Amino acid sequence: MQEQAFRFGRARHLVGIAGLPPAAQGTVGVIVLNAGLVHRVGPFRLHVDLTRRLNACGYPTLRFDFSTVGDSGASGESQSREQQILADTNDAMTLLRRQAGCTRFVLVGLCSGAQNAHTVACADDKVAGAVFLDGYAYRTFGYRLRHYLPRLIDPARWRRLLSPHRKSVEKIRGEPVFSTVPSPQTVVRADLAGMVERGMHLCLIYSGGINMFFNHARQFRECFGRVMTHPRVSTCFVRETDHTYVLVDDRKRLIDQIEGWLRNNFPIAPTAAAPLRRAELEASP
Amino acid sequence: MDSDHPFFFGPGGELFGLYHPAPSRANKAALLCPPLGQDQIRCHRLYRQLANALAAEGCAVLRFDYYGTGDSAGSSAEVDWDRCIADTCAAADELRARSGVEHVVAFGARLGGSIALAATKRARLADVVVWDPVVDGCAYIQQLDAMQAALRQDPHRFVAPRAVEGAAAQWLGFAISQRLRHQLADLRPDTAGSPSLVLDSLPPTPAHRWKGLIAAHAKVKELHPFTPWDDLRRLEQAILSHPLIQTVTSHWQGGH
Repeated sequence: MQEQAFRFGRARHLVGIAGLPPAAQGTVGVIVLNAGLVHRVGPFRLHVDLTRRLNACGYPTLRFDFSTVGDSGASGESQSREQQILADTNDAMTLLRRQAGCTRFVLVGLCSGAQNAHTVACADDKVAGAVFLDGYAYRTFGYRLRHYLPRLIDPARWRRLLSPHRKSVEKIRGEPVFSTVPSPQTVVRADLAGMVERGMHLCLIYSGGINMFFNHARQFRECFGRVMTHPRVSTCFVRETDHTYVLVDDRKRLIDQIEGWLRNNFPIAPTAAAPLRRAELEASP
Repeated sequence: MDSDHPFFFGPGGELFGLYHPAPSRANKAALLCPPLGQDQIRCHRLYRQLANALAAEGCAVLRFDYYGTGDSAGSSAEVDWDRCIADTCAAADELRARSGVEHVVAFGARLGGSIALAATKRARLADVVVWDPVVDGCAYIQQLDAMQAALRQDPHRFVAPRAVEGAAAQWLGFAISQRLRHQLADLRPDTAGSPSLVLDSLPPTPAHRWKGLIAAHAKVKELHPFTPWDDLRRLEQAILSHPLIQTVTSHWQGGH
């Protein structure tokens, strides 16, 4: 299967790459959102590897750049960033509907991409599921216990702190940081409960790379409450990996996990997937 | 609204490109050869800005991804030096066909510069401008191996150091084949394809570093501040340089 490049959107200002396998009616389309300011290929090409794997399973996909990110331009409208995100994602869904007939969609986002997926999932009924990679996280009482307690009872740490010969730690000069204030925990918790109530399937995969906010699988429930144990919600904490999956095997495991979650929650009708898998096998070296 | 056009081209339609047409009839055509690996992702924004700046000056521009990189077909482990050169030739032909301009010049950063130099004859490039090109393949491999070893133990990235085998056969996020390692090890200054301009933003080293790379007519221009190509703490930060865009644009306006 060959991917196709599109310039699309209400002002033809967006650039994206669609993977369009022959899809059965009702198959969800998977849309992968920018991770921060990295263009649509994703950190270390994660989005390319992910979308191609999902295409091989039979899912139509689109990886694209939001307005003014990557290769996309500005729409020329006077909108807040949140309005742009909603409108851009709606444009992306329209493209996949026209190209592959999809009417329901799964959003995948890492970091700010997860926050953007959250924003859209709250507002757009076409979203049937979402994969949040290192999405919203809040320091809980449990987080603080797990973080500080081992440090308090570590004699080596105390020796270092009290030593008169303590080396001063080299401070890295602060880089300029441009960020937005995250939504309050109570709002996010209610949002997630609302998504599940509306029938959405959620997959939260968090990494050890955000250990300044999140440090244990239990923290999903501590942050977001009982909804995290709902059968339509899947959670996973991978302590050893970093925030952007810099190691090849970590990326492969992540992609395996997303594929497995999609197959379980949004199974493909066998008529569409079977011929494609045969074709893929024939094409492989 | 941007008018650049995304498309696939080349043998089997495997290569991704973005064509920036000139606002009126193009008087020149510029091919932007990307670097490889994480440098390519870090330079993406700068390449787009450079393409827009050149297009605004009447130059048709093509940005593209080699096989196994960016949006082009293939996996990262399949990146191959000879294929990169063949892809550069295909991209130069594509640019000629789209722009109607035979006179194609090329720009490349790091390994993108090295590829443009190596492809000069085959791709019939009329001029090449390079930015911190890699001229000593063995030293470059050593540097990337050292950075990869440091990365797997980086406490700012991992809760605990990762095993050696889990970080093997890859450089800074990208799988690397043995074949590419060997190909890069053979990399030497290619005097057959001399650039007209070398943009130097590497930390200070003896001036003879570029000897053998540049012909007598070539210029070396230092850019400040230095570019943190090899700083692990900045591995995922974009590389931007307005002085570079101004220098390249005015260099090609000047008749090269």
